[in-house]
Amino acid sequence: MLCQNCNKNEATTYYKENINGQTRELHLCPECAAKLTGGTPNFSSFFNEPFFGQSFLNDPFFGQPFGSMLSNPFGVNATQAIGGGRRCPTCGMTESELRRTGRAGCADCYKNFSDILLPYIKKLHGAAAHVGTTPAPAADQPKADPVEGLRAKLSQAVQAENYEEAARLRDEIRRLEGENHA
Amino acid sequence: MRDFKKQGGFTGIAASTRVRLARNIKGYPYRGLTADQYKQIAGKIWDALQTAPAIAPSFTMTEIRPKSAEGAALVEKHLISPELAQSGGWLIASTDGGVAIMVGEEDHMRLQVMGSGLCPKECMEEARRLAALIESQVPMDFDENLGYLTACPSNLGTGLRASVMLHLPMMSAAGRIQGVISAAGRQGFTVRGAYGEGSQAVGGFFQISNQVTLGVSEDTIIGKLVALTTEVIENEKKLREQVRSQNELQLTDRIYRAAGTLKTARLIETNEAIDCLSNVLIGLSMGYLSGVSPTAVCEVEQAIRPAVLGGQPQERDKKRADMLREMAKQLQISE
Repeated sequence: MLCQNCNKNEATTYYKENINGQTRELHLCPECAAKLTGGTPNFSSFFNEPFFGQSFLNDPFFGQPFGSMLSNPFGVNATQAIGGGRRCPTCGMTESELRRTGRAGCADCYKNFSDILLPYIKKLHGAAAHVGTTPAPAADQPKADPVEGLRAKLSQAVQAENYEEAARLRDEIRRLEGENHA
Repeated sequence: MRDFKKQGGFTGIAASTRVRLARNIKGYPYRGLTADQYKQIAGKIWDALQTAPAIAPSFTMTEIRPKSAEGAALVEKHLISPELAQSGGWLIASTDGGVAIMVGEEDHMRLQVMGSGLCPKECMEEARRLAALIESQVPMDFDENLGYLTACPSNLGTGLRASVMLHLPMMSAAGRIQGVISAAGRQGFTVRGAYGEGSQAVGGFFQISNQVTLGVSEDTIIGKLVALTTEVIENEKKLREQVRSQNELQLTDRIYRAAGTLKTARLIETNEAIDCLSNVLIGLSMGYLSGVSPTAVCEVEQAIRPAVLGGQPQERDKKRADMLREMAKQLQISE
């Protein structure tokens, strides 16, 4: 069988691609196969194996690949994009703009458009519950009643670049301050 | 002064590692910010770093003018994104090039830590410490369920993008990259050509990075990335040994010719240079060449890019050849 890309050389490899759900299958010669997969044709002749080789990594972790979900974020179509819809009171982002750009305009957009964003987020990440680092409490609130010992420790921790300890101390200070004010 | 640039293993095949955290500062919208607002944000981050005297002197702050030549050069050095070079903003970076904090990207702050070889854990640790320092002074948008809030929902949660640049010429030649792409996809990771999205992988350089950022902890993402890349590296090594045992003559011919070109060329274009560097990297990691570290080759590979060199094409080709000859001077053939 001749290569379906150049129609010149003998096809030795089977090529299958899936771009956003559109599947394409081709029988290719080594040079065209290398070109299509971004490979260097130089070393191709060294290998006489089927194009796919064996699948050596079989550890499903997150389930489906995400590539196909990333373009056209919220299944927006032209009609939806033209319409106005709701508006985020904080930043003025409109529903249609959100659908078109796939970007939030401010932190509050995640609350104001949660009905649109949450299903998409779940689809994209397979989850909508954060796991991992959480921030140190906000530093922009007044520190009227400082807890001196802890503050000194916090300062030392920052100086020693022990930021996780610093975050913990900050939490502790914040908690005590909360109690004092209660 | 502390080293921010990390050093990991598998230097012959793992070219570099990069970890990025996306954060947005409380009280600012995610779009339509003025130049003054970006300046304010950069100032806040800068001030936060100044509260840690041990590291403060290691950082510099630079304004990136939109579409400037300096911006383009910073893109080629992987210090800023093409988007930031286009729109302009600020860069706060460690003097050793290991840490780059971008202000004015899609998110207010993008904190990147870079290293050579396979070092995602080390880079993550550094990124975590710096992010914690900045956040202890500058409050960030955070939601209990969605984690750190980002302009694009694809970065929510940890805001973490961790990637490793791999040199996989044999996997590529053997047509195994598609297999890697499928396996990575099943685990929430993507594989793309090294320079820009959708670009051809010049010289067999590929980048593997996580796609999922929410519902998975930083440690899990990093652990998965290390496991995945290690497995790919082992497969590349096996293929290299296969070529050594079956086609050594052709292999060494290619490697030595590449070394010869780098040692002698007076004018050389980017693609030929990358191809030669790729072959020399194979030679170094397989013991056919010595005298130069793979890390040095990877660094030169970035330095010879057109935007880094600047000037007219002919001048660049000469400058590139000069740099490569300088690097290849110590290159020795081990027979």
